[in-house]
Amino acid sequence: MEATREIYWNVGHGVVWGMYLFAFLAMGICAWGFWKRLPVYRQGKPLSRLDRLPERIVLMVKGMLGQSRVLRVLDPGALHALFFWSFGLLFIGTLLIMAQADVTAPLLGVVFLKGAFYGLFSIVLDLAGVVALLMLGGLMVRRFLVKPEGLQTIRDDYVVQGLLFAIILTGFFAEGARMAATEIGINPELARLSPGGLIFGQLFVGMTPAALSLAHKVIWWLHFFLAMGFIAAIPFTKLRHIFTTSANYLLADLGPKGALATIDLEDESAEQFGAASVKDLTWKDIFDADACTSCKRCQDRCPAYATEKPLSPMKLVQQIGEIARETPEANLCQSVGEEVLWACTTCRACQEICPAGVEHVNKILEMRRNLTLMEGGFPGDEVRTAIGNIEVNGNPFGLAYAGRGDWAAGLDVSVMQSGAEVDILYFVGCYASFDKRNREIAGNFIKICAAAGVRVGILGKEEKCCGEPARKLGNEYLYQMTAAENIELIKGYGVKKIVTTCPHCFNTLARDYRDLGLDLPVEHYSTYIGALMEQGRLKLTAESFEFTYHDSCYLGRYMDIIDEPRRILKQAGGAITEMARSGLESFCCSAGGGRIFAEEKIGSRINVARVHMARDTGAPLLVSNCPFCLTMFEDGIKTGGVEGEIRVRDLAEIVAERISR
Amino acid sequence: MKILVCIKQVPDLESRFKPDPNGVWFSDTDLAFRMNEYDEYAVEQAVRLKEQLGDAPEVTVLSIGPDRVVEAIKKALAMGCDRAVHVQDPAVHLKDPWQVASIIAAYAKEQGFDLILTGMQSQDRGSAQVGVTVAEQLGIPCATTLVGFSYQDATVTAKRELEGGVKGVVKLKTPALVTCQLGLNTPRYPTLPNIMKAKKKEICAVAVAQLLKAEPLAQTVSFHPPAKKGSGLVLEGDVCDLVNKVIGILKEKTAVLR
Repeated sequence: MEATREIYWNVGHGVVWGMYLFAFLAMGICAWGFWKRLPVYRQGKPLSRLDRLPERIVLMVKGMLGQSRVLRVLDPGALHALFFWSFGLLFIGTLLIMAQADVTAPLLGVVFLKGAFYGLFSIVLDLAGVVALLMLGGLMVRRFLVKPEGLQTIRDDYVVQGLLFAIILTGFFAEGARMAATEIGINPELARLSPGGLIFGQLFVGMTPAALSLAHKVIWWLHFFLAMGFIAAIPFTKLRHIFTTSANYLLADLGPKGALATIDLEDESAEQFGAASVKDLTWKDIFDADACTSCKRCQDRCPAYATEKPLSPMKLVQQIGEIARETPEANLCQSVGEEVLWACTTCRACQEICPAGVEHVNKILEMRRNLTLMEGGFPGDEVRTAIGNIEVNGNPFGLAYAGRGDWAAGLDVSVMQSGAEVDILYFVGCYASFDKRNREIAGNFIKICAAAGVRVGILGKEEKCCGEPARKLGNEYLYQMTAAENIELIKGYGVKKIVTTCPHCFNTLARDYRDLGLDLPVEHYSTYIGALMEQGRLKLTAESFEFTYHDSCYLGRYMDIIDEPRRILKQAGGAITEMARSGLESFCCSAGGGRIFAEEKIGSRINVARVHMARDTGAPLLVSNCPFCLTMFEDGIKTGGVEGEIRVRDLAEIVAERISR
Repeated sequence: MKILVCIKQVPDLESRFKPDPNGVWFSDTDLAFRMNEYDEYAVEQAVRLKEQLGDAPEVTVLSIGPDRVVEAIKKALAMGCDRAVHVQDPAVHLKDPWQVASIIAAYAKEQGFDLILTGMQSQDRGSAQVGVTVAEQLGIPCATTLVGFSYQDATVTAKRELEGGVKGVVKLKTPALVTCQLGLNTPRYPTLPNIMKAKKKEICAVAVAQLLKAEPLAQTVSFHPPAKKGSGLVLEGDVCDLVNKVIGILKEKTAVLR
């Protein structure tokens, strides 16, 4: 006998009408639920997120069907992915049944669920059910018994997980009841193709045919209504993420990482800068709240949250959604809290890991813009002073601008003003220009360039702060003022290539200045030195050392430069012991987002936490690639009590020491 | 009500000062300029008073100097002053406080200001005379070094910083002049909409010759860094050696061990 089964066994074909009526009703409720949410999103400002559609579709397929972002954290990502795939198979199976029973068989007389294909269909679906049940069980144990720290469980979680569990379970009961009547003990070969159903079927073996028939009917309808309930519940529970998160993959920001809208300061009709209410955010910022699944991956990685500061990127995103739905006129910054907004280091760890494609950082920056540009606010008086110093002297220290190039005295460097021919412009930045420790980095970089025969020029006293910290504090005006002066200078000297030793300058010159008209190749010294070595212009004498390496946020997460610095250090003779948080998962030093100017008044110190992570590797040396990181680590080693256990050095120092003569 | 705030643009004190070719003031080269800190308190207080009185007063900001002082004027306008007067004088640094006060008084005389605010002193010359001299020339009451200010019914109640941490409170009937000291307030950071609005506010340029009739009473004779009187010495090394070295130096260079 050919393998197959009777569709609508026991319940009869007559159910079709009722079934479709309720199915359409459920789908109608689902659509209506989403329709009702649209006006909430529409409160936001317009933003085009449907350009480059093919690219976006690929992203969506990878993210949704491939579960690529969910799987970046295997526990519990793997459970979710396996559940998703098996539930998907069950959904496809249901569609196949529908196609045959209600379309191809009655209209065309075609029956495809038979023979070998039915066998495959049966075993695949049955196993999918088993996997779904196990994965759901695992997820339930995690949420309700293990209760990982920081995981919020709300009504939705009970509803959703209970519903899914009941659907799968009633599915197996219905299958078991049917098999008890039609397969178990009658067609063992066929029964073997439904191992899950075979187990559940044992419960029904021995029942009278009438009782079995009644039990099956009841369970079948129960299963059906649960499934319809599931569809109807999607927009009203966390289940909405099935659609919203998938849509968020499609609506991803395809621009350069960390790109922030450049405010048009010439626009005299503008009256509001930054986000004072949710209506000043984009619709996508509001939509993000619906795409968020409260998985807390962002919160787990947030350096501010980890050090007892009031910021949780997850809660912030959800709060924006709440405000958009309930009190859209509310003062956004006050509702969220200024301390929350100022706590962010813009390290991007939240956004990088988010499996739902939520964009956390720019929301914070838009709110900071409101605080700064509309209210003249600062996280503290020390920041006010630093910003004032940038305005007057072009550096946050308030040191005489005329001394900016003094570090280069006696070194092999030309000042551009002198009209010298150079190969690269070294954009030094404030720290390497003025800070005693970081001046050594500048000096070492020059030494490296000289060894490779590269002619280096600097702007000297004409250079100004790139404006990055000001911009990340929300002060777009000061950023654009200093940027405009730097750009005019750089263009005026006909520079062909810029190299920086600061990842913040690097991002700003390479990406942000493009919006303001600077279109030149800009490199961070790590890749530049790497290229010099590859070209054979720079030769190192390897000298072994043990170290651990800190990926600065703006080089790693923002620029995806992770392997190159490690390669250089390896060639220099280094043996690396990685910290648990490295590469894209690196933990901020605390100084990003303009926090370099701010005192850390709340909670414990981020830099100390990071230095302790480095110390815990057992390596005696921490290598960094950023003046802010170097400064924070020098400080963290002292204040964190690990002096003598570990010290911090910059990549340029390691390389310069090993130049072959 | 009409309020006048007098501000000065001064070099940032971190700058490197070099005497100018005549040796009577510092050269402008390599200097970064900003609004005199004490004048920022004056601007802030004027704007606060304007806000207190429901935007009724008109606040005029006045500054004397070359073209670059317009930057300081713009900041004051962005902080909330309504209009500005730029007394154009490329050689203001060569004028003595009496002349500077005469210029301001000559302008203010016709305008009928109810209240004039200035900084307690400038950060560069630091004479602390301009404010009081303006009041004298206008014949109005004056209180200096304000660390507290309130205004009610044409009367200013001013808390003044006196010697040795003592404070004094005085009341002045307007028209009056006050000079502002650190601690009076925290000057606001101009918001972007106000920076944009400031661009459209009137800056009335007046040539200094129209206002200056007075002869100087004081002459700057020379501007030079303080003469080097020896220098510090840092000793390093073993404690015993250090002790011997210190004794040697004390014997050789001082009278304490003789």
